[in-house]
Amino acid sequence: MEAINSTEANPFGYAQPIWERFTHPRHVGEFAPGTPGVVSGEAGSKAARSVLRLQLRFEGGRVADVRFRAYGCPSSIAVGAWIVEWSLGKTPAELATLRAADLRQALEIADDRAHCALLGEDALHAALASFAATS
Amino acid sequence: MIYLDYAATTPLDPRVLQAMLPYLTADGSFANPASTHGPGYKARAAVERARAQVAALLGAEPAEIVWTSGATESNNLAIKGALEFNGGHNGRSPHIVTSRTEHKCVLDTCRHLETQGVRVTFLRPGTDGVVSPEQVLEALTPETVLVSLMWVNNEIGVVQEVQRLAPLLRERGVLFHVDAVQAAGKLPIDLRATPIDLLSVSAHKIYGPKGAGALYVRRKPRARLAPQMHGGGHEWGMRSGTLATHQIAGMGAAFEIAAAELQADAERLAGLRDLLWQRLQALPRILRNGDPQRAAPHVLNVSFEGVEGEALRASLPDLAVSSGSACSSATQEPSYVLRALGRDDELANASLRFSLGRGTTAGQIEQAADKVIKQVQWLRELSPLWKP
Repeated sequence: MEAINSTEANPFGYAQPIWERFTHPRHVGEFAPGTPGVVSGEAGSKAARSVLRLQLRFEGGRVADVRFRAYGCPSSIAVGAWIVEWSLGKTPAELATLRAADLRQALEIADDRAHCALLGEDALHAALASFAATS
Repeated sequence: MIYLDYAATTPLDPRVLQAMLPYLTADGSFANPASTHGPGYKARAAVERARAQVAALLGAEPAEIVWTSGATESNNLAIKGALEFNGGHNGRSPHIVTSRTEHKCVLDTCRHLETQGVRVTFLRPGTDGVVSPEQVLEALTPETVLVSLMWVNNEIGVVQEVQRLAPLLRERGVLFHVDAVQAAGKLPIDLRATPIDLLSVSAHKIYGPKGAGALYVRRKPRARLAPQMHGGGHEWGMRSGTLATHQIAGMGAAFEIAAAELQADAERLAGLRDLLWQRLQALPRILRNGDPQRAAPHVLNVSFEGVEGEALRASLPDLAVSSGSACSSATQEPSYVLRALGRDDELANASLRFSLGRGTTAGQIEQAADKVIKQVQWLRELSPLWKP
């Protein structure tokens, strides 16, 4: 899905990994209700102007498909897009290793946006908690 | 790139550039306009011609125009100068009345004066952005020296009732300062008919150069100011400093062009502003900020429910629009103007100010509307919170 059809390349100076995922996020949306093997995790709040919802569909103990939705600044949208892409093919144990610091490094998230990386870590861990509760 | 930020600044009109060039180089009238020799007199003549051009747009006398470096300086000089000259003679704290939706340079000047013991009433406008003359009159005290209000709000384009308020303040002997930066060249101004005492204008908002402005200081009855810039006693002692002949000549030319084109410009821009609002209404749950019945021709401010403001602006990289004014976007905080109108933080943040100018075409407006509609729809679709 192409979100932004712009002739201007990142005039705001966002880190390139953030800009790419913000402008061309993949796996946006959600699974149909009742899809087998799907767990969801959500973090953030409307008041804090960032909410991230991740959905992971497990098959044979590994993530087979992913979806996300995000409300927030470009960095928080990029965090959602990055996490779901990174999650594909991983086991819950592998997913559990992800930390905000990894997200900050991968997406070059600045200090003043560190909370966007924490949002991602929280949403993923919420999804894993939901996985643990259902399996 | 579609530029819809003319309220932040405008490009120099090519005619203005031509008017400025003769005052810069050795083959032209580069001399100091205060010098008492031939070249100096020639430069002085250019300055006085420009003074008459600026006065003409405002319905003022040339001798009522004091050159400054821009509207921030004009507003500082008007407010601090009036307070210093007129305030506190009876041993009581002088008082100013202004509104919460003034430009930062008025608000920050008033806040500074508060630290010096001046009392300030910051009026809250209605949800339509209008500060009523009655509200102003109610706030007056025997110590009120000055009322400062803007003619046209820079963020939401609301036209304040300064023409109705001015005679009421005159009757009560209170000085009236008006920041007319967004009104000059957009709305008719006639200071012979409207008893405003002090009025600030800027060149770069109407196709003149940046770094040039003026303060109108009424002669009859005389508004008295203490200078805030001391030096050689230029500008009747109110603002010292060598005059920037080329900037002033450019400002004069810009004001003369604005006077000639005001009516046609205003009608065309109001039509384009209405077209933009009409097109954007294809989106559900958007709100227009400021009373549409009191709207300046060139500004449209819209809040978009369900999208985050930074993402909205970032998703429109080839549209030059602003969130609030360029001055408050530096802080990345939601617009204090929209907050004063009662919009919550989230909605104030998810707002765009479109401001139109001479270069704006109907085609640009349609393209801009299409882009905004597409991106708002996309961000809403992306949001886990959006419920259509």
